[in-house]
Amino acid sequence: MSRRYDSRTTIFSPEGRLYQVEYAQEAISQAGTAIGILSTEGVVLACEKKVTSKLLDDDGSAEKIYEINDNMICAVAGMNADASILVNSARLYAQQYLKTYNEDIPCEMLIRRVCNLKQGYTQHGGLRPYGVSFLYAGYDERYQFQLFTSNPSGNYSGWKATSIGANNAASQTMLKKDYKDDMSLKEACELAMKVLSKTIDSSNLKGEKLEFATLSLSQDKKKIIRKIWKASDVDLLIKDTGVLDKIDEE
Amino acid sequence: MSDPFSLNGGSAVAMVGKDCVAIASDLRLGNQSLGLSNNFEKIFQFGDKTFLGLTGLATDVITLSEVFRFKHNLYKLREERDIEPKTLANLVSSTLYEKRFGPYFVSPLVAGLDPKSNVPFICGFDSIGCIDFAKDFIVGGTASDQLYGLCESLYEPSLEPEDLFETISQVLLNAVDRDALSGWGAVVYIVTKDKIIRRVLKTRQD
Amino acid sequence: MDVILGLRVADATIIATSKAATRGITVLKSSDDKTRVLNPHNLIAYTGEAGDTVNFAEYIQANIQLYSMRENDIELSPKATASFIRNQLATSIRSRKPYQVNVLLGGYDVASNTPTLNWIDYLGTQVELPYAAHGYAAFYCTSLFDRHYKKGMTVDEGLELLKMSLKELEIRMPLDFKGYYVKIIDKDGVRDAGSL
Repeated sequence: MSRRYDSRTTIFSPEGRLYQVEYAQEAISQAGTAIGILSTEGVVLACEKKVTSKLLDDDGSAEKIYEINDNMICAVAGMNADASILVNSARLYAQQYLKTYNEDIPCEMLIRRVCNLKQGYTQHGGLRPYGVSFLYAGYDERYQFQLFTSNPSGNYSGWKATSIGANNAASQTMLKKDYKDDMSLKEACELAMKVLSKTIDSSNLKGEKLEFATLSLSQDKKKIIRKIWKASDVDLLIKDTGVLDKIDEE
Repeated sequence: MSDPFSLNGGSAVAMVGKDCVAIASDLRLGNQSLGLSNNFEKIFQFGDKTFLGLTGLATDVITLSEVFRFKHNLYKLREERDIEPKTLANLVSSTLYEKRFGPYFVSPLVAGLDPKSNVPFICGFDSIGCIDFAKDFIVGGTASDQLYGLCESLYEPSLEPEDLFETISQVLLNAVDRDALSGWGAVVYIVTKDKIIRRVLKTRQD
Repeated sequence: MDVILGLRVADATIIATSKAATRGITVLKSSDDKTRVLNPHNLIAYTGEAGDTVNFAEYIQANIQLYSMRENDIELSPKATASFIRNQLATSIRSRKPYQVNVLLGGYDVASNTPTLNWIDYLGTQVELPYAAHGYAAFYCTSLFDRHYKKGMTVDEGLELLKMSLKELEIRMPLDFKGYYVKIIDKDGVRDAGSL
C-alpha cells in the first residue's frame, strides 16, 4: 500500500515518511566507510576505497576526498557522480563568498548552503535526492577546527568524531569508547586507523585501498595545511599503529 | 578628463630577461588630481610563477583581481596544478571579451614563467581582450607613452635577473616621474625559475 | 556639497559629518545625520545624490543586520563589510540606474583589535586609509591631515586635528555647514561624541 508513495520524493507516506530519502540513506550505508575525528591540533578524515583494480588507471588523485577551499576538505560516502556535482557547488559557494566579503566562508555557512541544495530535492522538482553523505573537516576564525556530517535529507550536525557509510554504527560505538578530548592529531590518525582496521576486511588494509586526509595549522599558526596522504604515508601509519600485527595474532 | 582609464591613474610594465621575467607597477591611487593612497598594488600573483598587472579604473582593477582569484581557485581545484601564464592570458582575454559592449576599463599585463619548462612569457591586452604578444616588453597605464620611450632606450635582451631588476626599475621610475597620475611608490617582482623577488621601491612622493 | 571626514587613531576611528541638508541654494534642515550604524562596530557616513544616499545606506544596514541574524549574531568584520559595500556599488555602477553614493566606513575589528577606515566611492573604488574625506572637503582636509597626522594619536588628539580641519573648511569654503556630528567607533562600539 505504502509503495504508492515511493516514486515521488515530494510526497509523504501515510506514516509520515519520505521513502526516496530513506532509500538514498540506505544506499549510503552500503558505501565505503568514512571516519572523521577532531583533535586539538586538527581534523583527520579516513575512508575505504571500494573500487580498486589493477587495471584502473589511477592518476594518484584522491577518489573520495575533495578539497573545497583553502580551509575545508570533505569525504564522500554514496554516489560519486552525485558527489562531484555537490562538491562543485560547494566550491562555487566558497568562492562567491570570498569574492563578496574578501574573507573565507565560515564552515557552517557553507555546509548549510550545500544542505539547502540537498533539501530542495526532497521537497520539489520530481527528481531524486542526491545520494550522498559528507564528512566535512574545516577551520574558521570563530570556531577553529570543526567536523560535520550531512545526509541526503539536508540535515547536518557537528561532531567530535563520527563515521558514515558501511558499518557506521559499529565504528561510532568504537569511537565513543576510545575518543578522548585532548588527543593530538597523530593520536586521532591512529584511532581512525584502528577503527578502520576493525570495520573493514583486513585484506583491504593497505595504502592503495585507504584514503587519509588531515587538516592542521602550520608551524606559525597562520596557514591551514590540507594534506591528502599518499599511499606510502598510509602504509607507514598502518605499520606504526601495528593494526595488521594484531589481526595476525588473533 | 572623465576618461575612465585615467580617473585613478597608475602604470605597470613587464619585461623578459634571460630565463626570467619582471613585472612592476606604481602604488598610487588617486581621484583625478587628488592622491588618495600610496599603497594600492596593481600586481597580483596566480600560482608560483605567474603574475597579472592591472592598470586603469580602480574599481575594475579590484573587481577583476577578485574575478581572477575566483576563477584561478576553481581552476586549481579542478586541475590540481598551477595555471600556466599562457592559459591565464587566454582566461583574461575571454573574460574581458565577455564584456565586449560594456567593457572593464583596464589594460592588463601577464608575465610569468611556464611552470614546467620555465620559458618566459609576457603579454598585454586592450580593454576588450585582444592579446598583444611580445618578446621584449609590455607597458600599460597612464604613463604608457613614457614607458614605451624608456623601454625603447633602456631595454636590452637576455639580461640576468639583477640587471633586469635595475632596468625595469629605472624604466618605471623615470616614466612615472613624467606622469602626474602615476608614482607615489613602486613595487617590482622578478620571477626566476627558483625564486620570486619582490622589492618595494622608494620614489619621489609628489 | 556635504562634508564627511574620517580619521583613524591608535584605538578608534572618528567620523565627522556636516549637519546641513541642502537642496540647491536652500538649507532644508540643520540637524541632518548622514550616518547609519550597521552593526555594533561598523558605521557608514555617506554623501551623494539625495534619495539615493539614505536608500543605499539603509539597504546596506539591512543586509549587514540580516547577516548577523542568520549567522548566530556573528558580526561582519569591517573588512568584510567594506568588501560587501564595494561589491554592491561596483555592481550598481554597471546597472541602468547606478546609486550615486560615496561612503566612508568607520569600523573596529574586534578579532584583531584594530580600528579601520575605508574610503569607497560610487564607482566601487575601495581603499583602507588612515584619514579620508569625500567631495570638496577632501582638497582642504587631506593636506592638513598630511601635515599633522601622526601614527598612534589618541582620540583627544584626533578630535583636535578634526577641529582644526573643520575650522579650515569654515574659512575656505563659501558655505555654512550648520555644524558637525562626531561619532567614535572603538572596542566598545559606536558612540556619539556630540557635535562641533
